[in-house]
Amino acid sequence: MAEWWAVCAVLLAGFMGSFGSLQFKKAADSIEGGLRQIATNKALITGLFIYGGSTVAYVIGLRGGELSVLFPLVSTGYIWTALLSIRFLGERMNRLKWAGIGAIIIGVALIGAGSAQIPV
Amino acid sequence: MATKRWAMGLVLFSTVLASSGQILIKSGLNAIEGSILQWIVIAKNPLAAVFPIIMGYLLYAGAAAFLIYSLRHGELSILYPIYAMNFVWVAILSPSIFPDHDFMNATKWAGVMAIVLGVALLGLGSGEEANG
Repeated sequence: MAEWWAVCAVLLAGFMGSFGSLQFKKAADSIEGGLRQIATNKALITGLFIYGGSTVAYVIGLRGGELSVLFPLVSTGYIWTALLSIRFLGERMNRLKWAGIGAIIIGVALIGAGSAQIPV
Repeated sequence: MATKRWAMGLVLFSTVLASSGQILIKSGLNAIEGSILQWIVIAKNPLAAVFPIIMGYLLYAGAAAFLIYSLRHGELSILYPIYAMNFVWVAILSPSIFPDHDFMNATKWAGVMAIVLGVALLGLGSGEEANG
């Protein structure tokens, strides 16, 4: 099982990860080349901080419970990514894309569940 | 914006780099005995741990650079979930590299196949006109 704070930490990690990736996408679209421009790109710097924070929350969260519970929770971030992409990037989803995200979340959950079992 | 095939390929490549980095960092950490502070003082061969950890983080940084570059040429809602292939490489490689710590079983194989299926569906979905 998992501690309540661990559940909150990995949910937060999933959300921050998708928010960080949104910043990365904005950075990727705005950079026109040139190291100085890359190093001073606001979206890139914001993204790195949010992504770094996400990693910290993830590592802390994983200490407070089993992977079988926490892996599926962190992969809810892919749902956030889809929603943020629609809202802020004007991307459009279709049934195949939702099915792909669903299969990935199930897959991550199964790997987490398998980690709690015995080896074969 | 349509997602370019090579951008999806580049994300796949970056997951290979990231999972290799993760495995290097893990093997470096495994070389540390006792607490990290203790180890820094008494280590006989500090490079055995420090070198893989530094290499691991460099691979990680390279993976991030490729991921961000690929985002320029495709949709976030397609490319970011493909990054989940990381879980697949780690699940497959880790048991043979760390036989004392990790293992494979049917549930994990099912998870590996579901993620690969999901990535394939995203690939198909990226080619299809959005239908809401």
